[in-house]
Amino acid sequence: MSGPVLQVDGLVAGYEPGVPIVRGASIRVERGEIVVVLGPNGAGKSSFIKAIAGLVPVSAGKVLLDGTDITAVPAHRMVRMGLAFVPQTENIFPLMSVDDNLKTAGGILKSKEAAERIARMYDTFPDLRTFRRTAAGNLSGGQRQMLAVARALIVEPKLLVLDEPSAGLSPKLVSMVFSMLSDIRKAGVTILLVEQNARAALAIGDRAYVLVEGREAHEGVASELWNDPVVAELYLGQRPQPSTGGAA
Amino acid sequence: MNLQFVVDGLLTGSMIGLGAIGVTLTYAILRFSNFAHGDFMAWGTYATLAVVGAIGAMVGKVAPLGPFSFGWPLLVALAVGCALTGLLALALDAVLFSRLRARGQSIIVVMASFGASMALRSLLEFIFTSRPTYFSRAIQIAMPVGFGIRITPDQIALLVLTAVLVAATHLLMTRTQTGRSMQAVSQNPALARVVGIDVARVVRATWMLGAALACVAGTMVGILVQIRPLMGFDMLLPMFAAAILGGIGSVPGAVLGGLIIGLAEAAAVQFVGAEWRAAVSFVILMAVLFVRPIGLFGVKER
Ligand SMILES: Nc1ncnc2c1ncn2[C@@H]1O[C@H](COP(=O)(O)OP(=O)(O)OP(=O)(O)O)[C@@H](O)[C@H]1O
Ligand SMILES: [Mg+2]
Repeated sequence: MSGPVLQVDGLVAGYEPGVPIVRGASIRVERGEIVVVLGPNGAGKSSFIKAIAGLVPVSAGKVLLDGTDITAVPAHRMVRMGLAFVPQTENIFPLMSVDDNLKTAGGILKSKEAAERIARMYDTFPDLRTFRRTAAGNLSGGQRQMLAVARALIVEPKLLVLDEPSAGLSPKLVSMVFSMLSDIRKAGVTILLVEQNARAALAIGDRAYVLVEGREAHEGVASELWNDPVVAELYLGQRPQPSTGGAA
Repeated sequence: MNLQFVVDGLLTGSMIGLGAIGVTLTYAILRFSNFAHGDFMAWGTYATLAVVGAIGAMVGKVAPLGPFSFGWPLLVALAVGCALTGLLALALDAVLFSRLRARGQSIIVVMASFGASMALRSLLEFIFTSRPTYFSRAIQIAMPVGFGIRITPDQIALLVLTAVLVAATHLLMTRTQTGRSMQAVSQNPALARVVGIDVARVVRATWMLGAALACVAGTMVGILVQIRPLMGFDMLLPMFAAAILGGIGSVPGAVLGGLIIGLAEAAAVQFVGAEWRAAVSFVILMAVLFVRPIGLFGVKER
Protein backbone atom coordinates (compact mmCIF):
# COMPACT_ATOMS: atom_id res chain seq x y z
CA MET A 1 0.00 0.00 0.00
CA SER A 2 1.17 3.53 -0.69
CA GLY A 3 0.45 6.56 1.45
CA PRO A 4 1.84 7.32 4.89
CA VAL A 5 2.61 4.51 7.32
CA LEU A 6 1.14 6.58 10.12
CA GLN A 7 -1.30 9.40 9.92
CA VAL A 8 -2.66 11.07 13.04
CA ASP A 9 -5.40 13.67 12.67
CA GLY A 10 -6.53 15.99 15.45
CA LEU A 11 -5.89 13.51 18.24
CA VAL A 12 -7.41 14.39 21.60
CA ALA A 13 -6.55 12.10 24.51
CA GLY A 14 -6.17 12.15 28.28
CA TYR A 15 -6.14 10.04 31.39
CA GLU A 16 -9.33 11.40 32.93
CA PRO A 17 -12.53 12.40 31.14
CA GLY A 18 -12.61 16.12 30.42
CA VAL A 19 -8.90 16.61 31.07
CA PRO A 20 -7.25 16.32 27.66
CA ILE A 21 -3.45 16.13 27.72
CA VAL A 22 -3.15 15.67 23.97
CA ARG A 23 -5.16 18.50 22.43
CA GLY A 24 -5.64 17.96 18.72
CA ALA A 25 -2.23 16.77 17.58
CA SER A 26 -1.66 15.77 13.94
CA ILE A 27 1.40 14.14 12.43
CA ARG A 28 2.32 11.99 9.45
CA VAL A 29 5.09 9.43 9.02
CA GLU A 30 6.04 8.32 5.50
CA ARG A 31 7.41 4.89 4.68
CA GLY A 32 11.08 4.50 5.56
CA GLU A 33 11.26 7.77 7.48
CA ILE A 34 12.53 8.55 10.92
CA VAL A 35 10.20 11.17 12.31
CA VAL A 36 11.13 12.89 15.55
CA VAL A 37 8.72 14.44 18.05
CA LEU A 38 10.36 17.07 20.23
CA GLY A 39 8.96 19.19 22.96
CA PRO A 40 9.56 20.55 26.44
CA ASN A 41 9.05 18.44 29.55
CA GLY A 42 5.41 17.76 30.20
CA ALA A 43 4.36 18.79 26.69
CA GLY A 44 2.47 15.53 26.39
CA LYS A 45 4.89 13.69 24.10
CA SER A 46 4.66 10.42 25.99
CA SER A 47 0.89 10.77 26.33
CA PHE A 48 0.66 11.41 22.60
CA ILE A 49 2.44 8.26 21.52
CA LYS A 50 0.81 6.24 24.28
CA ALA A 51 -2.53 7.34 22.84
CA ILE A 52 -1.38 6.19 19.40
CA ALA A 53 -0.40 2.83 20.93
CA GLY A 54 -3.82 2.45 22.56
CA LEU A 55 -2.65 3.00 26.13
CA VAL A 56 -4.34 6.35 26.77
CA PRO A 57 -8.06 6.81 26.04
CA VAL A 58 -8.72 8.84 22.88
CA SER A 59 -11.74 11.15 22.87
CA ALA A 60 -11.44 12.61 19.37
CA GLY A 61 -9.35 12.36 16.24
CA LYS A 62 -8.05 9.52 14.18
CA VAL A 63 -5.01 7.27 13.94
CA LEU A 64 -4.42 5.49 10.63
CA LEU A 65 -1.72 2.83 10.33
CA ASP A 66 -0.98 2.03 6.71
CA GLY A 67 -4.47 3.27 5.87
CA THR A 68 -6.22 1.18 8.53
CA ASP A 69 -8.06 2.98 11.30
CA ILE A 70 -6.48 1.83 14.57
CA THR A 71 -7.91 4.54 16.82
CA ALA A 72 -10.06 2.13 18.80
CA VAL A 73 -7.81 -0.92 18.61
CA PRO A 74 -6.93 -2.15 22.14
CA ALA A 75 -3.26 -1.88 23.10
CA HIS A 76 -2.62 -5.63 23.08
CA ARG A 77 -3.68 -5.90 19.43
CA MET A 78 -1.37 -3.14 18.19
CA VAL A 79 1.56 -5.47 17.54
CA ARG A 80 -0.71 -7.58 15.34
CA MET A 81 -1.68 -4.45 13.43
CA GLY A 82 2.03 -3.72 12.87
CA LEU A 83 2.74 -1.08 15.48
CA ALA A 84 5.46 -1.87 18.03
CA PHE A 85 5.98 0.47 20.95
CA VAL A 86 8.98 0.90 23.25
CA PRO A 87 7.87 2.82 26.36
CA GLN A 88 10.02 5.47 28.01
CA THR A 89 10.54 3.58 31.27
CA GLU A 90 9.96 0.04 32.53
CA ASN A 91 10.14 -1.32 29.02
CA ILE A 92 11.41 -4.80 29.92
CA PHE A 93 10.22 -7.52 32.31
CA PRO A 94 12.94 -7.32 34.98
CA LEU A 95 12.45 -10.73 36.61
CA MET A 96 12.36 -12.65 33.34
CA SER A 97 15.45 -13.77 31.48
CA VAL A 98 16.45 -11.94 28.31
CA ASP A 99 15.35 -14.99 26.35
CA ASP A 100 11.92 -15.08 28.01
CA ASN A 101 11.49 -11.35 27.41
CA LEU A 102 11.97 -11.95 23.70
CA LYS A 103 9.78 -15.06 23.68
CA THR A 104 6.99 -13.17 25.41
CA ALA A 105 7.04 -10.66 22.55
CA GLY A 106 7.01 -13.51 20.04
CA GLY A 107 3.73 -14.73 21.50
CA ILE A 108 1.74 -13.63 18.46
CA LEU A 109 3.99 -15.66 16.12
CA LYS A 110 4.23 -19.36 15.42
CA SER A 111 6.83 -20.76 17.79
CA LYS A 112 9.22 -21.79 15.00
CA GLU A 113 9.01 -18.35 13.42
CA ALA A 114 9.54 -16.73 16.82
CA ALA A 115 12.63 -18.87 17.46
CA GLU A 116 14.14 -17.89 14.09
CA ARG A 117 13.55 -14.21 14.67
CA ILE A 118 14.94 -14.38 18.20
CA ALA A 119 18.07 -16.05 16.80
CA ARG A 120 18.36 -13.21 14.28
CA MET A 121 18.00 -10.63 17.07
CA TYR A 122 20.87 -12.33 18.89
CA ASP A 123 22.96 -11.96 15.72
CA THR A 124 22.11 -8.27 15.58
CA PHE A 125 22.66 -7.75 19.32
CA PRO A 126 25.39 -10.20 20.40
CA ASP A 127 25.36 -8.72 23.93
CA LEU A 128 21.86 -10.04 24.38
CA ARG A 129 22.94 -13.54 23.42
CA THR A 130 25.69 -13.40 26.04
CA PHE A 131 23.14 -12.55 28.71
CA ARG A 132 20.26 -14.60 27.39
CA ARG A 133 19.80 -16.48 30.68
CA THR A 134 20.28 -13.42 32.86
CA ALA A 135 17.31 -11.73 34.49
CA ALA A 136 16.70 -8.64 32.39
CA GLY A 137 16.62 -6.48 35.51
CA ASN A 138 20.34 -7.13 35.94
CA LEU A 139 21.28 -5.69 32.55
CA SER A 140 22.96 -2.31 32.20
CA GLY A 141 20.94 0.64 30.97
CA GLY A 142 22.21 0.33 27.42
CA GLN A 143 21.58 -3.41 27.28
CA ARG A 144 18.05 -2.91 28.61
CA GLN A 145 17.37 -0.42 25.84
CA MET A 146 18.75 -2.92 23.30
CA LEU A 147 16.50 -5.62 24.71
CA ALA A 148 13.47 -3.36 24.60
CA VAL A 149 14.17 -2.49 20.97
CA ALA A 150 14.92 -6.10 20.01
CA ARG A 151 11.67 -7.12 21.67
CA ALA A 152 9.76 -4.57 19.62
CA LEU A 153 11.44 -5.65 16.36
CA ILE A 154 10.62 -9.34 16.81
CA VAL A 155 7.16 -8.78 15.38
CA GLU A 156 8.66 -7.04 12.31
CA PRO A 157 6.45 -3.99 12.73
CA LYS A 158 5.42 -1.56 10.02
CA LEU A 159 6.14 1.20 12.47
CA LEU A 160 8.50 1.26 15.45
CA VAL A 161 7.53 3.86 18.03
CA LEU A 162 10.08 4.78 20.70
CA ASP A 163 9.71 7.05 23.72
CA GLU A 164 13.03 8.67 24.67
CA PRO A 165 15.28 5.66 24.09
CA SER A 166 18.32 7.73 25.12
CA ALA A 167 16.95 8.88 28.49
CA GLY A 168 19.28 8.15 31.36
CA LEU A 169 22.09 6.78 29.21
CA SER A 170 25.70 7.95 29.18
CA PRO A 171 26.78 10.01 26.13
CA LYS A 172 28.60 7.02 24.67
CA LEU A 173 25.50 4.83 24.97
CA VAL A 174 23.35 7.61 23.58
CA SER A 175 25.33 7.59 20.36
CA MET A 176 25.19 3.80 20.31
CA VAL A 177 21.39 3.87 20.59
CA PHE A 178 21.05 6.43 17.82
CA SER A 179 23.35 4.59 15.46
CA MET A 180 21.35 1.45 16.24
CA LEU A 181 18.14 3.26 15.26
CA SER A 182 19.80 4.53 12.13
CA ASP A 183 20.75 0.94 11.20
CA ILE A 184 17.23 -0.28 11.91
CA ARG A 185 15.86 2.33 9.53
CA LYS A 186 18.38 1.25 6.90
CA ALA A 187 16.98 -2.25 7.29
CA GLY A 188 13.64 -0.83 6.17
CA VAL A 189 11.77 -0.08 9.40
CA THR A 190 9.82 3.16 9.68
CA ILE A 191 10.43 4.92 12.99
CA LEU A 192 8.55 7.44 15.11
CA LEU A 193 10.82 8.74 17.82
CA VAL A 194 10.09 10.97 20.81
CA GLU A 195 13.22 12.62 22.17
CA GLN A 196 14.48 15.20 24.62
CA ASN A 197 17.90 14.91 23.09
CA ALA A 198 17.00 17.11 20.14
CA ARG A 199 20.46 17.37 18.64
CA ALA A 200 21.12 13.65 18.40
CA ALA A 201 17.58 12.88 17.28
CA LEU A 202 17.55 15.52 14.57
CA ALA A 203 20.89 14.19 13.33
CA ILE A 204 19.34 10.85 12.40
CA GLY A 205 15.78 12.06 11.70
CA ASP A 206 14.22 13.04 8.38
CA ARG A 207 11.46 15.27 9.65
CA ALA A 208 10.46 16.52 13.06
CA TYR A 209 7.50 17.94 14.91
CA VAL A 210 7.61 20.10 17.98
CA LEU A 211 4.82 19.33 20.40
CA VAL A 212 3.78 22.09 22.81
CA GLU A 213 0.88 21.82 25.23
CA GLY A 214 -0.50 18.76 23.59
CA ARG A 215 -0.44 19.81 19.96
CA GLU A 216 2.13 20.15 17.23
CA ALA A 217 3.43 23.70 17.17
CA HIS A 218 5.97 23.30 14.45
CA GLU A 219 6.96 20.93 11.71
CA GLY A 220 10.07 20.81 9.58
CA VAL A 221 12.94 18.98 7.95
CA ALA A 222 15.10 17.59 10.73
CA SER A 223 18.37 19.09 9.57
CA GLU A 224 16.84 22.56 9.28
CA LEU A 225 14.83 22.47 12.46
CA TRP A 226 17.92 22.58 14.61
CA ASN A 227 18.67 26.10 13.40
CA ASP A 228 15.05 27.19 13.50
CA PRO A 229 14.47 30.13 15.87
CA VAL A 230 11.24 28.61 17.21
CA VAL A 231 13.01 25.45 18.25
CA ALA A 232 15.95 27.42 19.55
CA GLU A 233 13.59 29.30 21.82
CA LEU A 234 11.85 26.15 23.05
CA TYR A 235 15.13 24.58 23.88
CA LEU A 236 16.75 27.70 25.24
CA GLY A 237 18.88 26.75 28.18
CA GLN A 238 18.47 23.08 27.39
CA ARG A 239 20.37 23.33 24.19
CA PRO A 240 23.59 21.36 24.45
CA GLN A 241 26.97 22.76 23.46
CA PRO A 242 28.00 21.76 19.94
CA SER A 243 30.99 19.79 21.21
CA THR A 244 29.05 17.40 23.49
CA GLY A 245 26.78 14.59 22.47
CA GLY A 246 23.99 16.39 24.27
CA ALA A 247 22.01 15.14 27.20
CA ALA A 248 18.40 15.58 28.15
CA MET B 1 11.85 -41.49 67.25
CA ASN B 2 8.50 -41.95 65.58
CA LEU B 3 8.62 -40.35 62.14
CA GLN B 4 4.91 -40.66 61.40
CA PHE B 5 4.61 -36.88 61.53
CA VAL B 6 6.68 -36.69 58.34
CA VAL B 7 4.03 -38.49 56.28
CA ASP B 8 1.21 -36.62 57.97
CA GLY B 9 3.02 -33.36 57.43
CA LEU B 10 3.76 -34.00 53.76
CA LEU B 11 0.12 -34.86 53.15
CA THR B 12 -1.25 -31.80 54.92
CA GLY B 13 1.49 -29.79 53.25
CA SER B 14 0.48 -31.06 49.81
CA MET B 15 -3.07 -29.86 50.28
CA ILE B 16 -1.94 -26.51 51.67
CA GLY B 17 0.62 -26.15 48.89
CA LEU B 18 -1.80 -26.89 46.04
CA GLY B 19 -4.21 -24.36 47.54
CA ALA B 20 -1.45 -21.81 48.06
CA ILE B 21 -0.55 -21.87 44.35
CA GLY B 22 -3.91 -20.26 43.59
CA VAL B 23 -3.51 -17.75 46.41
CA THR B 24 -0.06 -16.71 45.26
CA LEU B 25 -1.00 -16.42 41.57
CA THR B 26 -4.14 -14.43 42.31
CA TYR B 27 -2.11 -12.11 44.46
CA ALA B 28 0.70 -11.71 41.92
CA ILE B 29 -1.44 -11.34 38.81
CA LEU B 30 -4.75 -9.89 39.99
CA ARG B 31 -3.15 -8.03 42.88
CA PHE B 32 -5.47 -8.90 45.70
CA SER B 33 -5.76 -11.43 48.51
CA ASN B 34 -8.63 -13.68 47.57
CA PHE B 35 -10.24 -14.75 50.83
CA ALA B 36 -12.75 -16.81 48.87
CA HIS B 37 -10.02 -19.19 47.70
CA GLY B 38 -10.70 -21.62 50.54
CA ASP B 39 -14.33 -21.73 49.51
CA PHE B 40 -13.33 -22.58 45.94
CA MET B 41 -11.72 -25.58 47.58
CA ALA B 42 -14.90 -26.58 49.40
CA TRP B 43 -17.11 -25.92 46.37
CA GLY B 44 -14.78 -27.96 44.19
CA THR B 45 -14.96 -30.84 46.63
CA TYR B 46 -18.75 -30.77 46.82
CA ALA B 47 -18.94 -30.48 43.03
CA THR B 48 -16.72 -33.56 42.74
CA LEU B 49 -18.87 -35.35 45.32
CA ALA B 50 -22.02 -34.46 43.40
CA VAL B 51 -20.57 -35.75 40.13
CA VAL B 52 -19.47 -38.98 41.86
CA GLY B 53 -23.05 -39.33 43.05
CA ALA B 54 -24.44 -38.66 39.58
CA ILE B 55 -22.13 -41.23 38.01
CA GLY B 56 -23.15 -43.71 40.72
CA ALA B 57 -26.80 -43.07 39.94
CA MET B 58 -26.16 -43.72 36.24
CA VAL B 59 -23.88 -46.76 36.24
CA GLY B 60 -24.44 -48.24 39.69
CA LYS B 61 -21.76 -49.28 42.11
CA VAL B 62 -18.22 -49.33 40.74
CA ALA B 63 -15.43 -51.38 42.31
CA PRO B 64 -12.46 -49.42 43.67
CA LEU B 65 -9.26 -49.32 41.63
CA GLY B 66 -6.66 -51.78 42.96
CA PRO B 67 -5.75 -51.04 46.58
CA PHE B 68 -7.37 -47.58 46.58
CA SER B 69 -10.59 -46.48 48.27
CA PHE B 70 -11.93 -44.92 45.06
CA GLY B 71 -12.83 -46.07 41.56
CA TRP B 72 -12.73 -44.40 38.17
CA PRO B 73 -15.85 -42.31 38.87
CA LEU B 74 -13.89 -40.21 41.36
CA LEU B 75 -11.17 -39.49 38.79
CA VAL B 76 -13.73 -38.43 36.20
CA ALA B 77 -15.61 -36.42 38.80
CA LEU B 78 -12.42 -34.69 39.88
CA ALA B 79 -11.74 -33.53 36.33
CA VAL B 80 -15.31 -32.25 36.01
CA GLY B 81 -15.08 -30.70 39.49
CA CYS B 82 -11.92 -28.81 38.47
CA ALA B 83 -13.68 -27.41 35.41
CA LEU B 84 -16.75 -26.43 37.45
CA THR B 85 -14.62 -24.73 40.11
CA GLY B 86 -12.86 -22.82 37.34
CA LEU B 87 -16.22 -21.71 36.00
CA LEU B 88 -17.31 -20.63 39.48
CA ALA B 89 -14.17 -18.49 39.78
CA LEU B 90 -14.73 -17.01 36.31
CA ALA B 91 -18.36 -16.24 37.12
CA LEU B 92 -17.43 -14.59 40.39
CA ASP B 93 -14.79 -12.55 38.60
CA ALA B 94 -17.21 -11.47 35.89
CA VAL B 95 -19.98 -10.32 38.23
CA LEU B 96 -17.89 -9.06 41.13
CA PHE B 97 -14.10 -8.88 41.14
CA SER B 98 -13.40 -7.54 37.66
CA ARG B 99 -15.78 -4.62 38.13
CA LEU B 100 -14.20 -3.66 41.44
CA ARG B 101 -10.67 -4.24 40.10
CA ALA B 102 -11.36 -1.75 37.33
CA ARG B 103 -11.76 0.93 40.01
CA GLY B 104 -8.24 0.23 41.13
CA GLN B 105 -8.60 -0.08 44.91
CA SER B 106 -7.41 -3.49 45.94
CA ILE B 107 -8.72 -3.28 49.52
CA ILE B 108 -12.28 -3.11 48.16
CA VAL B 109 -11.67 -6.25 46.11
CA VAL B 110 -10.28 -7.98 49.21
CA MET B 111 -13.37 -7.07 51.22
CA ALA B 112 -15.57 -8.28 48.36
CA SER B 113 -13.75 -11.60 48.38
CA PHE B 114 -14.42 -11.83 52.11
CA GLY B 115 -18.11 -11.32 51.46
CA ALA B 116 -18.07 -13.81 48.62
CA SER B 117 -16.37 -16.29 50.93
CA MET B 118 -19.14 -16.05 53.50
CA ALA B 119 -21.85 -16.27 50.87
CA LEU B 120 -20.30 -19.32 49.21
CA ARG B 121 -19.87 -21.04 52.56
CA SER B 122 -23.44 -20.37 53.68
CA LEU B 123 -24.74 -21.59 50.35
CA LEU B 124 -22.87 -24.88 50.80
CA GLU B 125 -24.30 -25.30 54.30
CA PHE B 126 -27.74 -24.54 52.95
CA ILE B 127 -27.48 -27.09 50.13
CA PHE B 128 -25.49 -29.87 51.80
CA THR B 129 -25.98 -29.07 55.55
CA SER B 130 -22.94 -28.70 57.78
CA ARG B 131 -22.82 -32.41 58.61
CA PRO B 132 -19.51 -33.95 57.48
CA THR B 133 -19.63 -36.42 54.63
CA TYR B 134 -17.15 -38.74 52.89
CA PHE B 135 -16.19 -39.98 49.45
CA SER B 136 -15.87 -43.49 50.85
CA ARG B 137 -16.38 -45.06 54.23
CA ALA B 138 -14.06 -47.93 53.48
CA ILE B 139 -11.24 -48.25 56.00
CA GLN B 140 -7.82 -48.55 54.43
CA ILE B 141 -5.07 -50.53 56.06
CA ALA B 142 -1.95 -48.44 56.57
CA MET B 143 1.20 -50.32 55.58
CA PRO B 144 4.25 -50.02 57.78
CA VAL B 145 7.23 -48.79 55.74
CA GLY B 146 9.87 -48.56 58.48
CA PHE B 147 10.97 -45.85 60.97
CA GLY B 148 7.57 -46.23 62.63
CA ILE B 149 5.89 -44.80 59.52
CA ARG B 150 2.58 -46.16 58.25
CA ILE B 151 1.03 -45.06 54.99
CA THR B 152 -2.13 -46.01 53.06
CA PRO B 153 -2.34 -46.57 49.30
CA ASP B 154 -4.57 -43.49 49.00
CA GLN B 155 -1.97 -41.37 50.72
CA ILE B 156 0.77 -42.59 48.38
CA ALA B 157 -1.41 -41.91 45.34
CA LEU B 158 -2.21 -38.39 46.51
CA LEU B 159 1.44 -37.56 47.25
CA VAL B 160 2.32 -38.70 43.72
CA LEU B 161 -0.58 -36.70 42.26
CA THR B 162 0.63 -33.60 44.09
CA ALA B 163 4.16 -34.05 42.77
CA VAL B 164 2.89 -34.44 39.21
CA LEU B 165 0.59 -31.42 39.44
CA VAL B 166 3.27 -29.22 40.96
CA ALA B 167 5.78 -30.20 38.27
CA ALA B 168 3.19 -29.63 35.54
CA THR B 169 2.23 -26.23 36.96
CA HIS B 170 5.88 -25.22 37.21
CA LEU B 171 6.49 -26.23 33.60
CA LEU B 172 3.37 -24.39 32.52
CA MET B 173 4.56 -21.22 34.25
CA THR B 174 8.13 -21.32 32.95
CA ARG B 175 8.03 -23.08 29.58
CA THR B 176 4.77 -22.12 27.91
CA GLN B 177 3.55 -18.91 26.37
CA THR B 178 0.60 -18.88 28.78
CA GLY B 179 2.94 -19.09 31.75
CA ARG B 180 5.26 -16.42 30.41
CA SER B 181 2.23 -14.20 29.80
CA MET B 182 1.15 -14.73 33.40
CA GLN B 183 4.61 -13.76 34.62
CA ALA B 184 4.58 -10.74 32.33
CA VAL B 185 1.23 -9.49 33.63
CA SER B 186 2.36 -9.93 37.22
CA GLN B 187 5.52 -7.90 36.58
CA ASN B 188 4.09 -5.09 34.45
CA PRO B 189 0.51 -5.22 33.13
CA ALA B 190 0.88 -2.15 30.92
CA LEU B 191 4.01 -3.50 29.23
CA ALA B 192 2.32 -6.87 28.87
CA ARG B 193 -0.36 -5.21 26.76
CA VAL B 194 2.29 -3.42 24.72
CA VAL B 195 3.97 -6.71 23.80
CA GLY B 196 0.65 -8.13 22.64
CA ILE B 197 -0.62 -10.03 25.66
CA ASP B 198 -4.38 -10.08 26.15
CA VAL B 199 -4.55 -9.38 29.88
CA ALA B 200 -8.17 -10.50 30.13
CA ARG B 201 -7.16 -13.93 28.82
CA VAL B 202 -4.32 -14.18 31.31
CA VAL B 203 -6.73 -13.28 34.11
CA ARG B 204 -9.06 -16.08 33.01
CA ALA B 205 -6.19 -18.58 32.85
CA THR B 206 -5.11 -17.55 36.35
CA TRP B 207 -8.59 -18.13 37.78
CA MET B 208 -8.96 -21.48 36.02
CA LEU B 209 -5.58 -22.75 37.17
CA GLY B 210 -5.92 -21.59 40.77
CA ALA B 211 -9.48 -22.87 41.09
CA ALA B 212 -8.69 -26.25 39.54
CA LEU B 213 -5.79 -26.80 41.94
CA ALA B 214 -8.04 -25.72 44.83
CA CYS B 215 -10.54 -28.36 43.74
CA VAL B 216 -7.83 -31.02 43.74
CA ALA B 217 -6.60 -29.91 47.17
CA GLY B 218 -10.14 -29.97 48.56
CA THR B 219 -10.83 -33.39 47.10
CA MET B 220 -7.64 -34.65 48.73
CA VAL B 221 -8.91 -33.37 52.07
CA GLY B 222 -12.22 -35.08 51.29
CA ILE B 223 -10.53 -38.41 50.54
CA LEU B 224 -8.14 -38.36 53.49
CA VAL B 225 -10.17 -36.55 56.14
CA GLN B 226 -13.76 -35.51 55.51
CA ILE B 227 -15.92 -33.13 53.52
CA ARG B 228 -17.42 -30.13 55.35
CA PRO B 229 -18.60 -26.70 54.14
CA LEU B 230 -15.96 -25.13 56.39
CA MET B 231 -13.10 -27.30 55.11
CA GLY B 232 -11.72 -24.63 52.79
CA PHE B 233 -12.17 -21.70 55.12
CA ASP B 234 -10.24 -23.61 57.77
CA MET B 235 -7.29 -23.86 55.39
CA LEU B 236 -7.26 -20.18 54.50
CA LEU B 237 -4.66 -19.14 57.07
CA PRO B 238 -2.26 -22.02 56.30
CA MET B 239 -2.61 -21.31 52.57
CA PHE B 240 -1.86 -17.60 52.97
CA ALA B 241 1.01 -18.37 55.33
CA ALA B 242 2.43 -20.81 52.75
CA ALA B 243 2.10 -18.31 49.88
CA ILE B 244 3.82 -15.58 51.89
CA LEU B 245 6.48 -17.92 53.27
CA GLY B 246 7.28 -19.09 49.75
CA GLY B 247 7.34 -15.59 48.32
CA ILE B 248 4.33 -14.06 46.56
CA GLY B 249 4.12 -15.09 42.91
CA SER B 250 6.36 -18.14 43.24
CA VAL B 251 4.74 -21.51 42.46
CA PRO B 252 7.62 -23.61 43.87
CA GLY B 253 7.67 -21.25 46.85
CA ALA B 254 3.99 -21.77 47.57
CA VAL B 255 4.43 -25.55 47.48
CA LEU B 256 7.56 -25.52 49.62
CA GLY B 257 5.83 -23.13 52.01
CA GLY B 258 2.87 -25.51 52.17
CA LEU B 259 5.11 -28.48 52.92
CA ILE B 260 6.99 -26.57 55.63
CA ILE B 261 3.74 -25.52 57.28
CA GLY B 262 2.28 -29.01 56.95
CA LEU B 263 5.38 -30.57 58.52
CA ALA B 264 5.47 -27.96 61.27
CA GLU B 265 1.79 -28.58 62.06
CA ALA B 266 2.28 -32.33 62.17
CA ALA B 267 5.37 -31.98 64.32
CA ALA B 268 3.50 -29.67 66.69
CA VAL B 269 0.68 -32.20 66.97
CA GLN B 270 3.05 -35.08 67.63
CA PHE B 271 5.54 -33.40 69.96
CA VAL B 272 3.68 -30.50 71.58
CA GLY B 273 -0.01 -31.23 71.49
CA ALA B 274 -2.87 -31.21 69.00
CA GLU B 275 -4.29 -27.98 70.43
CA TRP B 276 -1.21 -26.12 69.12
CA ARG B 277 -1.78 -27.05 65.50
CA ALA B 278 -3.83 -23.97 64.63
CA ALA B 279 -1.14 -21.66 66.05
CA VAL B 280 1.58 -22.98 63.73
CA SER B 281 0.50 -21.10 60.58
CA PHE B 282 0.05 -17.92 62.53
CA VAL B 283 3.47 -18.14 64.18
CA ILE B 284 5.19 -18.90 60.88
CA LEU B 285 3.30 -16.11 59.11
CA MET B 286 4.33 -13.59 61.74
CA ALA B 287 7.93 -14.80 61.72
CA VAL B 288 8.16 -14.42 57.93
CA LEU B 289 6.60 -10.98 57.97
CA PHE B 290 9.07 -9.79 60.58
CA VAL B 291 12.23 -11.53 59.40
CA ARG B 292 11.92 -11.79 55.62
CA PRO B 293 8.70 -10.27 54.28
CA ILE B 294 9.52 -11.21 50.70
CA GLY B 295 9.54 -14.91 51.64
CA LEU B 296 11.89 -17.68 50.60
CA PHE B 297 11.74 -17.24 46.81
CA GLY B 298 10.40 -13.72 46.78
CA VAL B 299 12.02 -10.91 44.86
CA LYS B 300 11.97 -7.24 45.72
CA GLU B 301 9.58 -5.21 43.63
CA ARG B 302 11.36 -3.56 40.76
N1 LIG C 1 -0.66 8.23 34.05
C1 LIG C 1 -0.99 9.55 34.10
N2 LIG C 1 -2.12 9.94 34.73
C2 LIG C 1 -2.48 11.24 34.77
N3 LIG C 1 -1.76 12.24 34.23
C3 LIG C 1 -0.63 11.92 33.58
C4 LIG C 1 -0.18 10.56 33.49
N4 LIG C 1 0.97 10.54 32.79
C5 LIG C 1 1.24 11.83 32.47
N5 LIG C 1 0.29 12.66 32.94
C6 LIG C 1 0.25 14.13 32.77
O1 LIG C 1 0.27 14.42 31.40
C7 LIG C 1 1.06 15.57 31.15
C8 LIG C 1 2.04 15.26 30.02
O2 LIG C 1 2.94 14.23 30.45
P1 LIG C 1 3.80 13.41 29.43
O3 LIG C 1 4.50 12.36 30.19
O4 LIG C 1 2.95 12.99 28.29
O5 LIG C 1 4.82 14.53 28.93
P2 LIG C 1 6.20 14.35 28.19
O6 LIG C 1 6.21 15.38 27.15
O7 LIG C 1 6.41 12.96 27.76
O8 LIG C 1 7.22 14.73 29.34
P3 LIG C 1 8.73 14.20 29.56
O9 LIG C 1 9.57 15.00 28.63
O10 LIG C 1 8.99 14.53 30.99
O11 LIG C 1 8.77 12.74 29.27
C9 LIG C 1 1.73 15.93 32.45
O12 LIG C 1 1.06 17.04 32.98
C10 LIG C 1 1.51 14.75 33.33
O13 LIG C 1 1.32 15.14 34.66
MG1 LIG D 1 7.78 11.44 28.23
